[in-house]
Amino acid sequence: MSRRRRGRRAVLAAGRLLGLAIAGAAGAALVVAAAPVSLVAAAAVTMAWAAGWPPRRLCQAALWCLPMVAVWVAATAAAAQSWWQVAAGPYRAWLAMWHLAAAGSVLRAVVTIAPVAVPLGLLVGALAWSRRILAMQTGTGGLTPRAPAAFDRRQWRHQVRSARARIAAPGAVPLLSRQGAIVAGAVIRTVGHAPAPLAAIPYQRLRSHQVVIGTTGTGKTTLLLRLWAGFRARGLQRHAAGAGHRPLLVVLDCKGGADSRRVADRARRVLREAGARSTAIWPDEASLSLWALPPRQLTTTLVDMIEHGSGSAAYYADVMEAVVALAVDPPAGPPASAADFLARLDPGWLSAAYSGSPDGQDAALLRSAAAHISDIALRFRTLFRRLGEGLDGPGGFGDADAWYCILEGTSEIAVAEAQARALVDILASYTAQGPGSQREILLAVDEFSAVSRRLPIWQLYERARSLGLALQVSAQSWPGLAPRDDDRYRIAATADGGIWLLRTPHPEPATGLAGSLPATDTSRRVLGVASWGHEGSSRVRDTPVANPAIIRSLDTGQAAYIYRGGVTFVQIKRLVAAPAALAREPTAPGQPVSRTAATRPTAAPAGREPPAAPPPDAGTLLDEAFGQEPG
Amino acid sequence: MYGVQLDQLAAVLGVGEPRARTITSSWRRARYAQSARLGPGGPWTWLTRAGLAACGLPFPATIPALSRLAHLRAVTAVRLALEATSGYRAAGAFWRSERRLRARVGGRVGLRQHLPDGEVHWPDGTQAAWAGECWAVEAELTRKTVARTAAIMREVLTRTGDYGCPAAQVRVPGQPPRHARVLYLCSPAARPVVARARDAIGALGARVEIRDLPPGAGLPPAGLPPAGLPPAGLSRAGSRRAGPPGPQP
Repeated sequence: MSRRRRGRRAVLAAGRLLGLAIAGAAGAALVVAAAPVSLVAAAAVTMAWAAGWPPRRLCQAALWCLPMVAVWVAATAAAAQSWWQVAAGPYRAWLAMWHLAAAGSVLRAVVTIAPVAVPLGLLVGALAWSRRILAMQTGTGGLTPRAPAAFDRRQWRHQVRSARARIAAPGAVPLLSRQGAIVAGAVIRTVGHAPAPLAAIPYQRLRSHQVVIGTTGTGKTTLLLRLWAGFRARGLQRHAAGAGHRPLLVVLDCKGGADSRRVADRARRVLREAGARSTAIWPDEASLSLWALPPRQLTTTLVDMIEHGSGSAAYYADVMEAVVALAVDPPAGPPASAADFLARLDPGWLSAAYSGSPDGQDAALLRSAAAHISDIALRFRTLFRRLGEGLDGPGGFGDADAWYCILEGTSEIAVAEAQARALVDILASYTAQGPGSQREILLAVDEFSAVSRRLPIWQLYERARSLGLALQVSAQSWPGLAPRDDDRYRIAATADGGIWLLRTPHPEPATGLAGSLPATDTSRRVLGVASWGHEGSSRVRDTPVANPAIIRSLDTGQAAYIYRGGVTFVQIKRLVAAPAALAREPTAPGQPVSRTAATRPTAAPAGREPPAAPPPDAGTLLDEAFGQEPG
Repeated sequence: MYGVQLDQLAAVLGVGEPRARTITSSWRRARYAQSARLGPGGPWTWLTRAGLAACGLPFPATIPALSRLAHLRAVTAVRLALEATSGYRAAGAFWRSERRLRARVGGRVGLRQHLPDGEVHWPDGTQAAWAGECWAVEAELTRKTVARTAAIMREVLTRTGDYGCPAAQVRVPGQPPRHARVLYLCSPAARPVVARARDAIGALGARVEIRDLPPGAGLPPAGLPPAGLPPAGLSRAGSRRAGPPGPQP
């Protein structure tokens, strides 16, 4: 390399350095000269970074400043003598600000420049924050190659912190928004959905099918309770306004056990505050009547509740169906209870019931099936003994505002399967033929796949669709949705109301349904503001809308709501219901205890009846009122 | 109390039947009550919605069910007999009706938890030996099965929570039972079954008192000419169903 060439390079380098120094100095001078705007912009970017806000939120804040700007312009115009003075208003305010600051009146200086500096600073901050995010998304920002990933993790933490602060603020997250949407909680982050502080789901989405997936302890029950309460409250509002029928919530909890009963109790309290006057807990406190089904449907349901074999056993299934049909629909009318039905499974009773039948077909059928009737009666007697009294009436779905049905799908699968089949048939009959057609019904099923052998879940889905029921299917995992993968995809793909994902180890099939978004990777250099170099290249690739890694790492009470190719990450707001009851006041030491307390046992072994203490003799009073006890 | 027959109303008011009829007419004119001859015996009177509101009672207004007239009369007779005793008045006891209990439960029809026909609350701090207790009252007109009656006795005697409380508090081991005793007032037909059911529940039976229904607890014999037509909504069939004399289910 010649000496002249080296000299020219040195001159060019020095010139470039000088140019950079001049640009830097000019930039610094501009920042100092526009100090109010710079300060507001810096504060805005810092706040957006700390709270994990999107740039759009800063723009919205700038828009909210418009009334202040309008007032300021009006005041300036009123004081000015010409339009030129109005146009020069910002400059004059800026000049006045410096003069006041120099004179030591800092507060007056701030007030003078604020109408101009605040909106402008917010806009500048939004621009700077969006550039920062873009630089991180394209991998061109940060000091190290790992900076974009670290930036995203940090922003997630900030967004979660903001969302938690929002739901912790009293009254910040109502159950229903002003527009009547059901508010699930505070938004952490949105991808493909419009950013908003609160995650509000329109009522109509709850009237469609929804899927909820989340393992135990992730806040699934909290989410479901909120959605149910929102459905109930909004449905009542619409009903009161004449815009819809009265809502009815039916929950099939297919796990059973003490945990289900605790959830049922919580649901009752939450729903009571959402306007449900009565929540029936089946089968513990309320019963339904299987015998209210139309005879044909009752025959089908009864036969399906019994386990059948295949192959040659189909013959016995046909015989059973024929005998059950005879017992259910004789000329005397259908049975009114299990005992009534069992009494009919007797050759003598059936012969007498059909003795007056004009065509001899029923009698012939009876003769050929007579040998099996006692076996069929035995099977049904066993079934009803195991089912208990929950399906033996009285009662129907119209008797309560909400039904919480507990099926022992974990401990007694065969019984729970039969119960599930019967409950769905009763609900279908209520909806199709009864007053249920005048109700807006949400059927929520939890872990239904555990009891779906007699009623495949896809069949439940199709029936719900045809009957106009909204179906909400929840499961602890993707495989828990349905026994077969085809059915799982069918359920998830037809969830018009959206999919809720809580922490689950295998979210990929569900997140795949959310689709993907184009993202750009680039190796081009950023030369300055809105200026990119021509060296390098860019590549557009598809990234999942719902990042499975985020869903796998969701904390308790966080959920991803997937709907129409977008996802909203939500920090769910827990509904706090009134306490179950006031605790008994403890008796202070030395205080006299009442006679009742003294004569009654204070403790009894769990699960056993308290021992009976003989009460004081009330014979004189009772003799006076009713005479002596009969011998 | 869903409704009351004229002779029992007269007893409550402490007046004769003609005077009670006049009082009922004034209530009817004020739209606080309705009355009609629903079955054998004198006319029945029940509060309308306006009457319930005037009394501050949060119950839905309903006509007494024809199939329950006999039972309602029996329960009212039991209440009157108890309230007439000196011990009841001295203790300032309080009758909590089945209607009030049902309102607390929330009107959930089809609930399988059994509601007694009434509760008697004995306040603390009186001379009565049973002060502070709560009694369940059952008026038995018809005979159920021994098993069913025993199950009801066991349920009532082991219950710890108030009616309408959360499911988890209905029966809490270690908590004192809600009802110190259950008082069965039986018709002659039902008495043997109730006695056998008491024997069947073992030690709990010590808290079951059995007595005969007081005189006048049954519906009077049919045959009295109806004084007027039933109100709108009551069918002829309904009137016929209410007819049979004596205790009805």
